[in-house]
Amino acid sequence: MTFKPVPATVAAVSDSFVPDGVIATSVEAVVNWGRRNSLWPFPFGTACCGIEFMGVVSSVFDISRFGAELVRFSPRQADLLIIAGTITYKQAPVLRRIYDQMCEPKWVISAGACATSGGFYDCYCTVPGIDEIIPVDIYIAGCPPRPEAFLEGLVQLQNKIAREHLKEQKAVGA
Amino acid sequence: MSTAAGKGISGEGDVRSWKREPIKPGKSDDQLQALAAERFGLARDAKDRWNLTMTLAAGQAKAKLHEVVRVLRDDPELRFDMLLDLAAIDYLSYPNHRGPRFAVVYLFKSLVFRHRFKLKVEVEEDDAELPSIHDLYRIADWSEREVFDQMGVVFSGHPNLKRILNHHEFIGHPLRKDYPCQKRQKLSINDPMVDQLESRLKHFGYQVVDSGEVHLGAPIAAKHQSVAEQGSVDTQKQKNAAGAVGAGGI
Ligand code: SF4
Repeated sequence: MTFKPVPATVAAVSDSFVPDGVIATSVEAVVNWGRRNSLWPFPFGTACCGIEFMGVVSSVFDISRFGAELVRFSPRQADLLIIAGTITYKQAPVLRRIYDQMCEPKWVISAGACATSGGFYDCYCTVPGIDEIIPVDIYIAGCPPRPEAFLEGLVQLQNKIAREHLKEQKAVGA
Repeated sequence: MSTAAGKGISGEGDVRSWKREPIKPGKSDDQLQALAAERFGLARDAKDRWNLTMTLAAGQAKAKLHEVVRVLRDDPELRFDMLLDLAAIDYLSYPNHRGPRFAVVYLFKSLVFRHRFKLKVEVEEDDAELPSIHDLYRIADWSEREVFDQMGVVFSGHPNLKRILNHHEFIGHPLRKDYPCQKRQKLSINDPMVDQLESRLKHFGYQVVDSGEVHLGAPIAAKHQSVAEQGSVDTQKQKNAAGAVGAGGI
């Protein structure tokens, strides 16, 4: 865990004033720490990558080691949208609506070749990458990505969240 | 197969009471070929060198197709009671092809005799229309919609001939050889497909008051009432729950 350096004034006060067992830090660091270690994923599994996501959640790979095991099936209770599978144009408005229903702050992982680029479905019905429809934070390569790659993607996202600034919250629906 | 098939709704007839008949010896390909030639005047398709395919010419299809299929299904010696598949072919870029551009292929199987039959119906490009056989085989309902969606062959008499795989804003028929296969078409608003849901609900006694909202019709309400009296279930609660199904919308 890497906290941003505490502003000098706070540190000076804490040295003389704050009793033992109390640490001084910034609100931003605490909030980001909480957010990135308790991600609640909403799995949008539409194809084979969805099966791989089940492997990630199972005890062998165990996504709960990273605090993201509380899989929700309502977008209103989730803050991490994991798209694992092929997205067709017929499905695109549904995906967009689910994204819109999630509360801020929210993040999106595009898992696998299909969600990221359309994969080998270079045809009339498949969306060539879900970033045509919704913003994406992390892309995971693979067809399907191995569970380790999923976890790597999750850790990358956690690092990204740690660097976020509260003042620069994403605009709603951006 | 009787009344419900006409409405395009499944749910009639109890599957559990259906008993399989013992398998009887069926007809050979040669016998089927002779029979089809004699009864319907069909010709064997020379392009199919491995199996038996009988061809129905484009000019005769509209008048004869429905009757031919009905006889195939009902004749006691044939009894093709299963429509395995229904697919279309576009011969646009087929080497050395002469004749109509499209063909619709029907694959039949008999569960009693275990013989199979392939019927190829030629379809002209500027008159791409065939009679629907959804009243003979319920599965043809969706298969015909698929052929219409992907190839643009119209099935006259179909109760609900709309796209089934592609979205409702799609223009063109993507499996035609002259459709550029990478041409993508975006969808702005998805189709909730409540029309089919509503027809099913109506079939089970619900009454559709407003699109997306479902209320209990008289027969079902009466049924719930009696259940409530027997098992002391709160009827109002049940009504509310049933209302919520519809009120949620899609
Ligand atoms: S990327 Fe590969 S494994 Fe994942 S959904 Fe597409 S085809 Fe399936």
